[in-house]
Amino acid sequence: MNIAIKKGLLDMLPLNLAVLPWGILCGSLAIQNGFSALEAQLMSLLVFAGSAQLVAIELMAKGASMITLVITTFIISARHLLYGLAIRNNMIDKPLKWRGPIAFFLTDELFAFSHHHRAYQGKLRLIYALVAGGSFYLAWNLWTLFGIVAGQFLPDLTNLGLDFAIAAIFIALVVPGVSNLPVFCACLVSGVTMLYFKWIEFEFGLVAAALLGMSTGYVLQAKEDKS
Amino acid sequence: MIATIVVLACVTFATRYLFLAKNLPFTIGPRFQRLLSFSAPCVLTAIWVPIVFMPSGKFVNELNSPYLLGALAAVFLAFKYKNLYLTTFGSLIVFYMFF
Repeated sequence: MNIAIKKGLLDMLPLNLAVLPWGILCGSLAIQNGFSALEAQLMSLLVFAGSAQLVAIELMAKGASMITLVITTFIISARHLLYGLAIRNNMIDKPLKWRGPIAFFLTDELFAFSHHHRAYQGKLRLIYALVAGGSFYLAWNLWTLFGIVAGQFLPDLTNLGLDFAIAAIFIALVVPGVSNLPVFCACLVSGVTMLYFKWIEFEFGLVAAALLGMSTGYVLQAKEDKS
Repeated sequence: MIATIVVLACVTFATRYLFLAKNLPFTIGPRFQRLLSFSAPCVLTAIWVPIVFMPSGKFVNELNSPYLLGALAAVFLAFKYKNLYLTTFGSLIVFYMFF
């Protein structure tokens, strides 16, 4: 059990540190836009979604309608539907006391560590996921608190290149799993189509790029299995 | 304001919990599961590729971009050593040498 806790903490630690600038930004941007300290912290405590949070803060400050807020937040969060689907078979037989918290912690960051085919199987793997996801939640809220308390005294840290750290961590998690041609082509298609979607500013780009890549991998794998 | 925040929290939680809900009665067959097995590498790639090739929203237009060189180092290190910390810190060093 201690090993699962330690591994959960260690695996997530680089991401916990890398998201510091955006956590701080979420806190300080909320304060700048007239949120109270409590409201700013509640955004991270309850909504707990980096980019969706930043966009929602600006929309709320502009006095956007509830329906705009809900739709925009849904669009940015839609990728989590895919994460839930991907881990459903491994999670669905678990009691609510596990499914509830793990669903709440199911960010991009936790999903990045959910790829093992036996992820969430057995108590140790559940503890691992809960600790990894929970530590990210705590870090995110701590950085938000920093932003709320000291945001006005801090320079903008988002241009220090820590976005590269996030990319590097994801590369470190993806590349070792690229063990055959279908996975390689799946990643290639996702990457290239994502650049295109980003360029044309297509809002469902991430989900679309992922689905295109997944279909590519699936088709190539099926062909390989046939021959 | 707090009511709005709670509504938004329901939206983000709903997208995460929906397909983990037991009262959503469907099963994922082996073929669908195989399609989903590609989701993690695809999603993660779709997140890291724009960071590297479109930092600050525009395509990189020079080969000595720290993002490109750092990513190249990360791919090499990840392929060779398969170690999260080594890849992350090794490529960060390359990145900041050119940053």
